[in-house]
Amino acid sequence: MTVPDLGVPRRNGELAFDAPWQSRVFGLAAAVAEHAYAGDWEPFRRQLITAIAAEPDRPYWESWTAALEALTGMIDVVGDAHG
Amino acid sequence: MNAGHHHPAPPSPIEQRVAALEALLTEKGLVPDGFVEEVTRRYETEIGPLNGAKVVARAWVDPAYRERLLRDGTHAIAELGFAGAEGDHMVVVENTPSVHNVVVCTLCSCYPWPTLGLPPAWYKDPPYRSRMVREPRVLLREMGCVIPEDMEVHVWDSSAEVRYLVLPERPAGTEELTEEELAALVTRDSMIGVARL
Repeated sequence: MTVPDLGVPRRNGELAFDAPWQSRVFGLAAAVAEHAYAGDWEPFRRQLITAIAAEPDRPYWESWTAALEALTGMIDVVGDAHG
Repeated sequence: MNAGHHHPAPPSPIEQRVAALEALLTEKGLVPDGFVEEVTRRYETEIGPLNGAKVVARAWVDPAYRERLLRDGTHAIAELGFAGAEGDHMVVVENTPSVHNVVVCTLCSCYPWPTLGLPPAWYKDPPYRSRMVREPRVLLREMGCVIPEDMEVHVWDSSAEVRYLVLPERPAGTEELTEEELAALVTRDSMIGVARL
């Protein structure tokens, strides 16, 4: 699946996402960094490093998804502890 | 294109996982309406290598700015309005006639988002992440960037603490160009250090 050409300005770069679910999971990680960790991406980054190390050949955005799943599980724990 | 009527394919397993994550995070109140759309729109249309190119062009035309940029990248880049996630600890490394700089993230995909946008696919791939440290000249040559034997190659490993941006050398014969015209010469790859201008 590919993103249709929507006339998005690519500047001198390239479009970052190959499929809608990839931009979705990127935006969700941004939401977690912003709203669960006050803008700090480091908790997510640690999970991403772990996810990539666990399966180095897994496609990048799938590792990203696994990292966000792991981090989301940790937010559960925090929520329970405070609930 | 048959835009009027089509039956979408059922979601793939990875699409289902992302949808489940979205439902869970929304339930926790972490995903305000429209947030994901706004974030991805900004990274697809506003935040990209053109920002970094403006930084480089300014450094080429303004020696005082160049000095500030090399001394304190984060603040000098923020002067031009580029700041935010993954841009808090910027270090700018300068190419010279005797030194070529190139940036990698060996552990994951750390990258200076405010100045370069999101990283290209190859930057995140295991071969780039491992080989750029082990055999930078060979890999650079394979990527079309030949470094003369008498030029040093400095490889910078991005991390949580530091994000690097390469300041390429200003190409010869560009004395008459305006800052805007110069910015148009600066490519993303030259600011990662896998290309020379």
